Amino acid sequence: MRYVPSPLLCVLQISAVALLLACFSLQAAEKYDNPTPWSYLRLQRPAIPFTEDTAWPKDDLDRFILARLEKENLRPIGDASRETLIRRASFDLRGLPPSQTEIEAFLRDPAPDDIAFAKVVDAFLQSERFGERWARHWLDVVRYADSVGRVWNAPFLYAARYRDWVIDSLNEDKPYNRFVAEQIAGDLLPAKTVLQRRDQIVGTGMLALGSMNVQEGDYEQYILDQVDDQIDVVGRVFLGLTLACALCHDHKTEPVTMRDYYALAGIFYSSRTLSGTPNRNDGVAGGYVSPEALVDLPTELDEAVGPPQKLPAGIHSMDDIREFGNPKQTIRYDHDPHFCMGVIDGEIKDCEIAIGGDPHDRDTAPNRGELKLPALPPMPKVPAQSSGRLEFAQWLTQPTHPLTSRVMVNRLWQHLFGEGLVRTPDDFGITGADPTHPELLDHLAIRFVTNGWSMKKMIREMMLSRTYRLATTGNPEHPDAGNKLRWRQNPKRLELEPLRDTLLQLAGQLTFDRPKGIQVAGTGGKGRHGVTRGLLGIEEPYRTIHLPVVRDNIPELFSTFDFPGPTQIKGQRDVTTVAPQALFFMNNPFVEQLSAQIADKAGKDTQAIYKLILGRDPTTEEITDARDLDDQTLVQALLGTAEFRYVF
Amino acid sequence: MTSRRSILQSTSAGFGWLAFNALHQQWANAATPPKTINPLAPKAPHFAAKAKRVIFMFMQGGPSHLDTFDYKPELVKAHEHKVGKYMGTAFDFKPRGKSGLMISDAFPELSKHADDLCILNGMQTRTNAHQMATVALHIGSETFVRPSMGAWIVYGLGTEAEDLPGFVTINPVADTGGAMNYGSAFLPASFQGTRLSTTGGGVPDLSNGRLSDAQQRKQIEFIQKANRRLLAGDPGNPELEGIIQSYELAYKMQTSVPDVLDLDKEPAHIRELYGLDNGDTERFGTQCLMARRLAEKGVRFIQLTSTGWDHHQQLREGITRQAGSIDKPIAGLIADLKQRDMLKDTLILWGGEFGRGSSYDNELYNGRGHNGRGYTMWMAGGGVKGGFAYGSTNAMGDTAETGIITTHDLHATVLHLLGINHERLTYRYSGRNFRLTDVHGEVAKDILA
Repeated sequence: MRYVPSPLLCVLQISAVALLLACFSLQAAEKYDNPTPWSYLRLQRPAIPFTEDTAWPKDDLDRFILARLEKENLRPIGDASRETLIRRASFDLRGLPPSQTEIEAFLRDPAPDDIAFAKVVDAFLQSERFGERWARHWLDVVRYADSVGRVWNAPFLYAARYRDWVIDSLNEDKPYNRFVAEQIAGDLLPAKTVLQRRDQIVGTGMLALGSMNVQEGDYEQYILDQVDDQIDVVGRVFLGLTLACALCHDHKTEPVTMRDYYALAGIFYSSRTLSGTPNRNDGVAGGYVSPEALVDLPTELDEAVGPPQKLPAGIHSMDDIREFGNPKQTIRYDHDPHFCMGVIDGEIKDCEIAIGGDPHDRDTAPNRGELKLPALPPMPKVPAQSSGRLEFAQWLTQPTHPLTSRVMVNRLWQHLFGEGLVRTPDDFGITGADPTHPELLDHLAIRFVTNGWSMKKMIREMMLSRTYRLATTGNPEHPDAGNKLRWRQNPKRLELEPLRDTLLQLAGQLTFDRPKGIQVAGTGGKGRHGVTRGLLGIEEPYRTIHLPVVRDNIPELFSTFDFPGPTQIKGQRDVTTVAPQALFFMNNPFVEQLSAQIADKAGKDTQAIYKLILGRDPTTEEITDARDLDDQTLVQALLGTAEFRYVF
Repeated sequence: MTSRRSILQSTSAGFGWLAFNALHQQWANAATPPKTINPLAPKAPHFAAKAKRVIFMFMQGGPSHLDTFDYKPELVKAHEHKVGKYMGTAFDFKPRGKSGLMISDAFPELSKHADDLCILNGMQTRTNAHQMATVALHIGSETFVRPSMGAWIVYGLGTEAEDLPGFVTINPVADTGGAMNYGSAFLPASFQGTRLSTTGGGVPDLSNGRLSDAQQRKQIEFIQKANRRLLAGDPGNPELEGIIQSYELAYKMQTSVPDVLDLDKEPAHIRELYGLDNGDTERFGTQCLMARRLAEKGVRFIQLTSTGWDHHQQLREGITRQAGSIDKPIAGLIADLKQRDMLKDTLILWGGEFGRGSSYDNELYNGRGHNGRGYTMWMAGGGVKGGFAYGSTNAMGDTAETGIITTHDLHATVLHLLGINHERLTYRYSGRNFRLTDVHGEVAKDILA
């Protein structure tokens, strides 16, 4: 696999460094009462630690883990078997089990474990299934949804476009600094082709996914709410900082003042958010669902970006739906390939401090972008005619920014090891957890940046470590029973998406196609045609990531299996065990139907059923026990076992 | 460990008691450590208690105390004289019952039970944001994921309902914290709340059309055997034990849940008492009647939810509608519990995440903003004084001045009423002992009967 840094990446880095130098003298010494958290301090390249045992580590990463264990006189447990490992890698990277052929090939590969496993990891990383699996992790933190939620729950007709952008970006291994920059300022970044330009603009859809009260009568309040949502999401997702706490007062625990908040607010205040679900005071035609409040993507490289100039034919708005009358069938929205959700520059103006958060009691505005958080690199000066989003993106993605890389490598680690080195992935502040291995975190962060911010490369290196490959067997008597020091791998519960996708896959029903057209209906109001709903149910053959996520109207199955509330920034999902999950496996008609299909596929043979579902042969005892059950009942039983529901 | 493993082996046939290692450790220092523990088995409280169970009625959005349970004549005057943005109450207050508690006309039916109510006028919470305040009310922290109050209580006391979950939440909000509000966080998963719904027959997937009971039992025994085999290889994994437990409960729930939720079994006069015969009150009335049936079975913690109390505008219409939808059902529940002699050991807790401000909000005299510095909740039944008002706010009703009860104090008081010392109900996690009340909490002793 090749990892070529993009030219744009270099441009961003160079300009960031230049700006960093240019602005260094501008940094004012601000007084903060609160202590500066560890995470604000600059990245330290730690020395690779010495370990007694030099044979065990495969990677420098392992040396950090082992040195810490040795300090406590502990040892890592043994490696997982190849059988376990390929299943773990397949679920971690693709969200689906390995095929029989893949398992056989790996088990029989005469190459040493290191090489054989590297082949497996590389193949899985190149699969398009990788983007579908990891995009969902990202959507959890950016509060992705297909409707605006709250009072008037209007549908986001084009949210799926952003979702697909995340999948594609991950599959093409877009460098993380570019991935971040496009979501904040994709419309302002240079582009070589019109296709690239369109792609970058779609990335800004992230900023438009907030849950807003579109009926809010106080427009200034609405705008400040929107700005607050954007500060919250960029703060917690990219920086791991709860900046939004400084909306009404200086931050209670962090060295963040209201001035900092409103300096950042000025950037979004000078931008225009186009979600397709306008506030009633936005003065656009079409009602709460309107293409006038969307971005019309450019068809020429230098074309200005803005909402569509004239409304298209077909059904694109709430007014269109209403005009259509009251037919018996669900009215579907037409899809326009040039529309997307996004953010563009608006009227450029600094944001006056709202005293106590009151939108009508204002104090002098700080210069937008003039963020003075201690220890962090200074923000580049925002030119008079800029919103500051480009400068903010440059600031965030400079190689020396201590938070951007630390927060992201921690997220990647968490998805592979079950828990982050910082156990509060969205909070790197005073109230968050301290890293269990601070030197390792910095080591990884520096490695991530040095490798051109390649997420695939970072994931690959983590997975080829010895630490990743450990067995999961626990021991309640162990002095570190909670596995803080990583002497074993953590078993991981299959989340909703890999669980449902695997059921469909085993039954031969899963398709990797993306659903075509708009899959949400309704206008957001009350009544038969009002209520916003997804048009794809859980029994559809698509991967779960493609099913619509309508706020306040999440399928029961989603909540039962801990799908995060889609207004929340959720870096780590809850893992619960409740009786309704067991009832799903026991009685759900969809599970029964899939079980029958799986039994058929396995030719009603116990051995084949075990191999298909659990990826292993049954024991003699299991074969005997299985005789008591008919094949469909056996399949359904195996799907309900903890062995199937966990990745070990 | 050896005894633990032998327990597992001895219970390998069918359902039975399960050793629960995580809990075993919790009781390691107890005088007589129990040899086998069903995590949901009833446990003795720290001291004798009046309340055995809780029915928590959560009013999502922050109901206005100034228009319901906190009488503020000065505020009315300020409104009449157009002082600032002050907005007087939208309803008249009257003294009720023998005790003369002041309750507004928004709650005519509940007012008839004034002498059973213990009104807490000095409530305080830390934030004015829905999400954080809601989460704080349920779990005691607005910033961290912690076990919910219901989970802590079931952890402390177990449940008397064998084939029902110990902690049930009916129609919970999916937003503002969602499942966190009834989650178990680091406590074993068996203690988290089970969601029930008043529409769609409660728990989904409760029946199987294909397998006979005997066949299904065989199937589940197969699953449990496989799970136990796995557990033997990874002893003390509380998640695996939770899965085993969840099947046991799921199997029993197939019969017990439909049975307990079958409100048709109730006679007409009882259904009427709860307002099930009226479209406006049917929804919350159903929750209340379900609560009584669950309480009778011994469910330890039952949460009900009424949404739509966020009255920034059209406050009068909003409260009329909202109060109208819960007034009769709550009065019905109190009357019904009383006639069954259950009110004495059932603690009812009513309230939202905060109250509302004394000033009008966005539009002239049309609604109120959020107010966490002073608001009202009330209790009734199990161990609290009836016909009693405790605490007060300042003249305009914005700030609690006396009898202040913070979120931690509220939790400490609820635990106390159940016979639990909130400082002793701890769980060791991540290197330290955690409590529902963190390092705070003071029991409001004055309200104890």
